[in-house]
Amino acid sequence: MAKGTTIEVKNLNTWFGRKHILKDISCYFEDNCVTGVMGPSGCGKSTWLRTINRLNDTVGSFRMTGEIFIEGKDIYAPTADVYSLRRRVGMVFQRPNPFPMSIKDNITFGPKLHGINDGDELDEIVETTLKKAALWDEVKDNLEQPGTTLSGGQQQRLCIARALSVDPPVLLMDEPVSSLDPLSASKIEDLIVELKKDYTIILVTHNVQQAFRVSDRAAFLYLGELVEFDKTAKIAEAPSDPRTEAFITGRIG
Amino acid sequence: MDRTNCNDKSPDEAVRRPNRLRDRIHSLKNSIRCFIHEARTARGGARVDFLGRLGLFIPAVVSIGIIILVLTFLWYESTPILTSPEGGPGIIFETTWDPNRDMYGIAVFIAGSFMCTFLAIGIAVPLGIGAAIFLSEFCPHTLQSVIRTIVEMMAAIPSIVYGLWAYVVLVPFIKYEFAPAVQSNPLTAWMPWFGGSSNGLGLLAGGVILAIMLLPTVVAVSDDALRSVPKSYREASLALGATTSETARSVVLSAAIPGIGAAVILSLGRAVGETMAVLMVTGNSLQIAYSLFDPVYVMTSIITNQLGYAYTFDLWRSALFAVALVLMLMSILFTGAAKLIVKWGMKTRGME
Repeated sequence: MAKGTTIEVKNLNTWFGRKHILKDISCYFEDNCVTGVMGPSGCGKSTWLRTINRLNDTVGSFRMTGEIFIEGKDIYAPTADVYSLRRRVGMVFQRPNPFPMSIKDNITFGPKLHGINDGDELDEIVETTLKKAALWDEVKDNLEQPGTTLSGGQQQRLCIARALSVDPPVLLMDEPVSSLDPLSASKIEDLIVELKKDYTIILVTHNVQQAFRVSDRAAFLYLGELVEFDKTAKIAEAPSDPRTEAFITGRIG
Repeated sequence: MDRTNCNDKSPDEAVRRPNRLRDRIHSLKNSIRCFIHEARTARGGARVDFLGRLGLFIPAVVSIGIIILVLTFLWYESTPILTSPEGGPGIIFETTWDPNRDMYGIAVFIAGSFMCTFLAIGIAVPLGIGAAIFLSEFCPHTLQSVIRTIVEMMAAIPSIVYGLWAYVVLVPFIKYEFAPAVQSNPLTAWMPWFGGSSNGLGLLAGGVILAIMLLPTVVAVSDDALRSVPKSYREASLALGATTSETARSVVLSAAIPGIGAAVILSLGRAVGETMAVLMVTGNSLQIAYSLFDPVYVMTSIITNQLGYAYTFDLWRSALFAVALVLMLMSILFTGAAKLIVKWGMKTRGME
């Protein structure tokens, strides 16, 4: 069942204070595919990602112009409900950040928030999301153990499961493997490929090889500008902008 | 001398905590041995480093030594009453305090202190935690630093000032406004804790002034605990669609509970030991309070009030030291409990 959704970004500009972070970005994220967003540190990748679930709103000095449409609806419209938006756009962060609670409570946190209180239903959500995140077999006997006692890679998969627990069509991933060891990283990369069947995934990464391995489409962001946005294979073989080529061959970044 | 043990600790050994007493003694012996070894052999930079560490070791030992000295001294001074036929350890359950008849029951003071303290905690903790949550989660940035500064200033006000204020404002308020109001209102008049006549001085006045004095500590420590909850927890919760208040309640508060628990118990210790303000407003009558308006006598007050008269009477004086000993043991107990709570909370949440 393909149930991802499309995201359209139109003329997006953002500022933190007086600093212009993203410069006039327009693009279209296809449903049910992984879009890799590449770029050197500080180029605005995370800011871009966080405009999509409006997490930047919590920062006082944040300003933006432009529009973002999810399923055709402008998420920054005055009538838009930011809480139901965030429920529909899951997010996985750079460092694993499970809540200091049991594994089970970590997963049921979101569903409980949105009014699911039935024990059996919650148990089912725990099982299905942990299976989706490829963690079920490792933790099924220790669901009451604190989530923070797992290894880094397991913690990150727990965080993915937590994000999936409210069944969002979109999943934002902000360098999800950059703080993990190579083995855990490759497990999570496999997982991302697996998950795109059901979700629209935007993966921010500064690792070019990872973007090429995992993504169907790739974007290259440089100093706040969207330099290139195309099929990953196309960018890997023949980037049309010299800056993209310089980045993927390791000369800038 | 076997020097391999001093420097090349295997990682296993360094991480493992000594659990059994034998292990502890062994590791203590070992560290003393290594210390002597180092004192003999260190040269050059290592020597400077060694002397520096030694220089810092001395203040540490002195501070611990002072505590031990105070405890020994209290124990020594209270021995006469604890070993005499008139007294004995049973005085902590006796309720009659009459030095003229050589009766030194200190239960009245223990009860008074307990009631005053728990009343104060009952008022200060909900208020303080509420204020701290507002401060760390909802307060606008510019206001935050102003409120924090005021809270710090509140903590620095001398207790006698609070006492004076309570004496001229709080006590008359209880006497002329609060007591008549609750005693004439049929909704509250039947309640036993509002019984008895009030002259303003008593348990309620003591508890309220103590609560006001504890408030800045509770707010400051809870605020610290809340602020030290990583931002990433808040973001994860918001990203799941939680509102700010849901995040504060379900994630931030839950993660900060060990720290807040410690704040509560530390302030408990402080409340038990508070003297001047309480002395001024509790009425100091030798009885156990059954109503909020009854006067109480707390442990610190009896020591302050009677030490001057008691000094030349061995048993009397010794009984006052016994009160101080109980006070000190209670403080130690509370502090120990605070540490255990924090440890337990961290463990169940997997934050180590």
